Amino acid sequence: MDNARGEGVMKLKTLPPSLREKHRYIAIKIISESPVEYSDLENAIWNTMLDFLGEYGVAKTDFWIIKERWVKNDQTCVVRCNHLSVQDVLASLGLVTRLGDSRIAVKILKISGTLKGLNKK
Amino acid sequence: MYYDMHVHSAFSEGESSLEEIATQAKMLGYSGICFAEYFKGKQKMLELKEEIAKVSEKARIKIFLGFEARNSNELKRLVALRREYDVLLVRGYDTKLNRLAVETPEVDILTHPEYERKDSGLNHVLVKEAAKNNVSIEINFRNILINSKNSRSAVLSHITHNVMLCKKFKAPVIICSGAISHWQLRDPKIMISFAKLVGLDLHEAKLSLSEAPKRIINQIDERKSRKWIMPGVKEL
Repeated sequence: MDNARGEGVMKLKTLPPSLREKHRYIAIKIISESPVEYSDLENAIWNTMLDFLGEYGVAKTDFWIIKERWVKNDQTCVVRCNHLSVQDVLASLGLVTRLGDSRIAVKILKISGTLKGLNKK
Repeated sequence: MYYDMHVHSAFSEGESSLEEIATQAKMLGYSGICFAEYFKGKQKMLELKEEIAKVSEKARIKIFLGFEARNSNELKRLVALRREYDVLLVRGYDTKLNRLAVETPEVDILTHPEYERKDSGLNHVLVKEAAKNNVSIEINFRNILINSKNSRSAVLSHITHNVMLCKKFKAPVIICSGAISHWQLRDPKIMISFAKLVGLDLHEAKLSLSEAPKRIINQIDERKSRKWIMPGVKEL
């Protein structure tokens, strides 16, 4: 892979497990009056998180919404944070009340340390 | 086993029917809920009881009937009828009413003592009384949900202050949604995380949604038995 200047881009070596951030993946289900779109959901969650926790607070949670795990038919999604801030993220998810015209509530399906673990019963 | 002990239906100030609320609560994972309605006479109470029994069977969830007293006269009437319903709540906000609530052993829950106030509505004297008379102090989730920006931060700070006092004087704390619509009900895990956010440990937060309501529910059966005379007095 070359960058704009034509130099080869060096890929960072993967961190050893002990130095990696300890993630928690939270599977959520959106209960709403009418089916919601992913883009609306993403905006609503990010805005609520930034309002409630602030920019600094969100930075500390290492928060991310995993787009690949959005299932439109089931209205389920997976969000990620680090192991220390699960409660903060859950609280923020509880404050999402509206997506456009439809009122929503978030149901927490499962919390796991790996994405694979979310599929286990 | 999680319970939500403070939900309003369309009977009083709510927007949703009993059935909508019961179904949503069941789906979110609650084992039981308590409708906290305003008292509108004995006849209406009997009608409400019948309706609740029907809905409870249909939605397969335990439902309790509670009444929320809004002033001292209402509280007096409700205390006199204490055997007829399950849970007695007092709508906190007025200093005198807060005081009266924590001094009355018949009361189960003092709801949002910090509601529409510039202070937290409780002090060390009131919390000591609450601990003595076993009156639970409520963390009201709707109060946090409907406010935003600076008013929400004020509410959170008042609740945190109250929780600190309750922990210090060992007064029971309970977390309720206080929902007036079934869209204001939240997942039990989210409620626990809120309880943790306002100063409880994770374990205490879990107890405030499970053991604290359970204690109130156990008292219901005790009160309905013939041996019960008044709080602290029963036939042996």
